[in-house]
Amino acid sequence: MTMGLYLFALFLGLGLGIVLAISRHYGGPVVTRVSTGFIEIMRGTPLLAQILIFTTLPYAFNIPTEYTSWQIIVPDIYGIERVVLDTRILLCAIALGLNSAAYQGEYFRGSLSSLSAGQTLAAQSIGMTKRQEIRHIALPQSLRRAIPAWSNEAVYLPVYTCVAYMVGVPEFLSAATLVVARTYQALLVYLITAAIFLVLVSFISWLLNRIYERIRIPGV
Amino acid sequence: MVAVLEVRDIWKAYDTLEVLKGISFDVQEGEVKVIFGPSGSGKSTLLRVINMLTPPDKGEVFLCGQSLMDCKAELCKLRTRIGFVFQNFNLFAHLKAIDNVSIGPRLVLGMTKEEANDVAHRALEKVHMCDRSHHYPAQLSGGQQQRVGIARAIAMNPEVILFDEPTSALDPELIGEVLQVMLDLAKEGTTMVVVTHEMGFARAVSHEMIFMDKGIIVEKGTPQHFFQNPQSERAKHFLRKLEVLYGQTETEET
Repeated sequence: MTMGLYLFALFLGLGLGIVLAISRHYGGPVVTRVSTGFIEIMRGTPLLAQILIFTTLPYAFNIPTEYTSWQIIVPDIYGIERVVLDTRILLCAIALGLNSAAYQGEYFRGSLSSLSAGQTLAAQSIGMTKRQEIRHIALPQSLRRAIPAWSNEAVYLPVYTCVAYMVGVPEFLSAATLVVARTYQALLVYLITAAIFLVLVSFISWLLNRIYERIRIPGV
Repeated sequence: MVAVLEVRDIWKAYDTLEVLKGISFDVQEGEVKVIFGPSGSGKSTLLRVINMLTPPDKGEVFLCGQSLMDCKAELCKLRTRIGFVFQNFNLFAHLKAIDNVSIGPRLVLGMTKEEANDVAHRALEKVHMCDRSHHYPAQLSGGQQQRVGIARAIAMNPEVILFDEPTSALDPELIGEVLQVMLDLAKEGTTMVVVTHEMGFARAVSHEMIFMDKGIIVEKGTPQHFFQNPQSERAKHFLRKLEVLYGQTETEET
């Protein structure tokens, strides 16, 4: 569940983050303000509050329960049936993703504006359109450059998924809490939980470093 | 015959600073025009205005009789017919030399990958860079980067190439290789507008020189005219400075 939340939020945030960065960097006055506003709101309010707001949306708008009570249930490796997706989990994942998009957007915007203006002029001078310039010149370079900063978000996010515990999503921490409730081995179980997160995060940053070294531009 | 480029009464100001104050000139096919003058005289701005990288406040530019200011949709197409070589090369850092050259023909002119690579290869051959075609810009010397920059411009098969101080960011040992490429291009009959202080180059190939100062054209003439008897005090003074700097022997003819 933790990994599912993480990957969903990371990639939703990645896609939306790129869109936000481009619209804030290249957009006209209206588009720039809209994306700046979104980023400031998402960064300026607590993540827990955002998740709480999102998961209470169906109640706030009085959406009938037949639309919100669906569940996808898949048996786990022991054959016990588990809820893998329902409205609450989905909303929680979207909230995480939107929050992450705001941060990721800023990382990408930073690397977009670090590119030299000269290359934009060069792209225009050979007749490229704005769209071609963004797609073939600006993005390939800025995404590569953003990886070291972006890895920050990639390793924060699995840790942030713990907040989903607060709204009753059965993620990793809530599973640990359940084990504690049964075994009373609080310190041990939480230490193991922490260790697992540490291993996971270390693996992610190792992986990202590898990717960065692989695709970095030679000599830059 | 219609001139390749017609520049008509260009005015440009940055805020209150007037950079160009009514510049006009024509460039005929096969002509090499050298623009020179002290820094801040508006030379670079003028070049950028010509292909609308910097739109002017007033005035008009025609490419083979077609205005570059008519409508925006056409601008990208017209720009493909005007090459531009930058002082700081401005190569695309994430692309190998060959891809820097082929990306224009492929994306903008709509060639297939093979055709574009062919064109890029020929362009690199012209600037003697074939052996380095698979290096990234950061792995090349300044002179090599600038030659790739020139190849990128000629790969689009433009009607005129604008050079914005192409050798000013290079150390003296590398200037020669770039100038040689430009000399070859000029001798092939390429139409060029060159902003430069390389008076040796100007003397060798230019048909007309334009001396600019403070946003206006102070004096125009053939290289002989400038090196033998420039009329304006400002041009005399500037050329004397250049002589002192480069130790050239322009004085022997006066």
